[in-house]
Amino acid sequence: MYGYHGKIARINLSTGKISVEKFDEKMAKKWLGTRGFGIHVLLKEIDPKVDPLSPENKILYTTGPLTGTAAPTGGRYMVITKSPLTGYIAMANSGGFFGAELKLAGWDMLIVEGKAEKPVYISIRNEEIEIKDASHVWGKRVSETEKILIEEFGDKHAQVASIGPAGENLVRFAAIMNNGHRAAGRGGIGAVMGSKNLKAIIVRGRGRVELADRQKFISVVKEKTNKLKNDPVAGGGLPKYGTAVLVNIINQNGLYPTRNFRSGVFEYAEEQSGEAMAAKYLKRNKPCYACPIGCGRVNRVGVLEETEGPEYESTWALGANLGINDLASIIEANHLIDDLGMDTISTGGTLATAMELYDVGLLKQEDLGDAPPFRWGNTEVLHYYIEKIAYRQGFGDKLAEGGYRLAKMYGGEEYFMGVKKQELPAYDPRGAEGHGLGYATDNRGGDHIKAYMISPEILGYPVKMDPHDISDEKVKMLIAFQDLTAVIDAAGLCLFTTFGLVGDDYRDLLNAALGWDLTTEDYMKIGERIWNAERLFNLKAGLNPREEDTLPKRLTEEPMPEGPNKGHVVRLKEMLPRYYELRGWNADGTIPKEKLKELELDEYL
Amino acid sequence: MALVKYFATLREITGKREETVRGVKNIKELMQLLINRYGDKFAKELRDRAMILVNGKNILHIRDMDTEIEEEDVVSIFPPAGGG
Ligand code: SF4
Repeated sequence: MYGYHGKIARINLSTGKISVEKFDEKMAKKWLGTRGFGIHVLLKEIDPKVDPLSPENKILYTTGPLTGTAAPTGGRYMVITKSPLTGYIAMANSGGFFGAELKLAGWDMLIVEGKAEKPVYISIRNEEIEIKDASHVWGKRVSETEKILIEEFGDKHAQVASIGPAGENLVRFAAIMNNGHRAAGRGGIGAVMGSKNLKAIIVRGRGRVELADRQKFISVVKEKTNKLKNDPVAGGGLPKYGTAVLVNIINQNGLYPTRNFRSGVFEYAEEQSGEAMAAKYLKRNKPCYACPIGCGRVNRVGVLEETEGPEYESTWALGANLGINDLASIIEANHLIDDLGMDTISTGGTLATAMELYDVGLLKQEDLGDAPPFRWGNTEVLHYYIEKIAYRQGFGDKLAEGGYRLAKMYGGEEYFMGVKKQELPAYDPRGAEGHGLGYATDNRGGDHIKAYMISPEILGYPVKMDPHDISDEKVKMLIAFQDLTAVIDAAGLCLFTTFGLVGDDYRDLLNAALGWDLTTEDYMKIGERIWNAERLFNLKAGLNPREEDTLPKRLTEEPMPEGPNKGHVVRLKEMLPRYYELRGWNADGTIPKEKLKELELDEYL
Repeated sequence: MALVKYFATLREITGKREETVRGVKNIKELMQLLINRYGDKFAKELRDRAMILVNGKNILHIRDMDTEIEEEDVVSIFPPAGGG
């Protein structure tokens, strides 16, 4: 078998037992990698109704067949577990260098189960795996944790994935961080590590990935890398301005969510745009493993000689969504959130919920005591509450529960802008209705990454679609995006390659590496299988499609008040039945047996 | 008199963030004028997948290059871009 080692390490933290398991090509061809492997194991091994923060939940660190190869952006890994934020599946992807190192150490996947009695970390040196005491790094922030563990390990090329204080304190949107600022960010997976007393995984791998035809693979890699380098976005806009180049674009198009999605136009967007960041703070760009794009930012601001980010999403979550106009504070807050180990989108979304609750009078100053008021635009909120959340101090303890639970505590559920209890990202779907359908049907809740419909609806790739068209064409495009994204994730590549590559390019890379002769349609079928399997897990976990495949009322009932999308809502009610039908699902959003059979999923019933 | 806004690399090429333009009826005429003014580099930057908005609406969903420009209109021009 090429592209895989066929090796899984099962690490039980309750018993300390470490065992090696094998898998064969049948499993590889069925699931491809990362998300595919992950959902297969979750469906087989855990009760979907399990408490996500209990020892019975499992957490999987997975790679894809192209992870650790020379394929462009082939350094990704994914963490799959049951989310303490949504109660459904979490699958969070990260770049940097950890994923490739894990693969080069000889592992396709780690399955971590149980709960350690005391804080521990897992140390991996090629095939050698040990569980070690982590009491000396428990309580430490991400940057310090990485530094100490790498020193102790005695090899500066070792890579660390760890949690900060937020994960330890079971913040429901805690992230897993690697290389300082790269996050497997969403769904609160850092809290799952925390609940297992697992502080970090450190890995050093000196092996390689066997390929079917190395010569051929290298020539395909060259061709695809050139394609990316010559692409005006992947080879131009992204390295030059980073993802924050979107700030002005999305704002000018009138869907830049402002003050908790009250509007889609932010009056200060220009001052926190990618252009402004590049002019004022940028030192250089920074690529992940084997990446010819290099969208990462290294910035200098205030006392921070060097920090990375913020990305478009984080800039928005800590800026426009709170009405804050202070780019330096946004960059500093982003740095702090990374170091404490949290998801920037959910942190910002939760603070925005608090601001609106305060604005409408449901959250009162007396609830906060001497702490800063949650007034729109109050930068003090960033400086004060972020640390309080990570340590669950004072009002931070309530914020640490996330926007949904916070809004519920104060009787203002309609002010939570999220789906399936997860905070929405930086696009108001009243200006891109297909993207709204994507939010409503995403297996991990409020999220933009698993089907980036902004690409066709706003940016014009692979074709330009009218953002207010809700025909079957649009719904089919969303389904294709969901399935293709699952394939790219499972392969171990970065989604930003889609700005320069299409389905056939991924097929070429995979076939050359693996020695397979699958068609693009075959790969899309794997994507469809992954999507349906994740949905099946959610349904078994108790998902109620009628109530939860939905959007906040504001987006379906309150017309956009201003800007180019003035008067528009998301016509979700019209699109959703079409989506179910085109997916081959029942009208109530469940999956019929025949469909499960067609996708070879009936064994998981 | 329409207001034309430039973004990303177009700011470096034009040396401006925005300017007012008179005497053009539609996007085609505007683009001709701008290409004459800023030359090949400007044209090249927009060759592939550029985005042109009139009052925040993409011209592809209005009348493409024939989209009319009225007094007070805001035209935003972006080179190809992506992110997420
Ligand atoms: S495009 Fe950006 S996020 Fe993706 S692998 Fe490259 S540097 Fe990392």
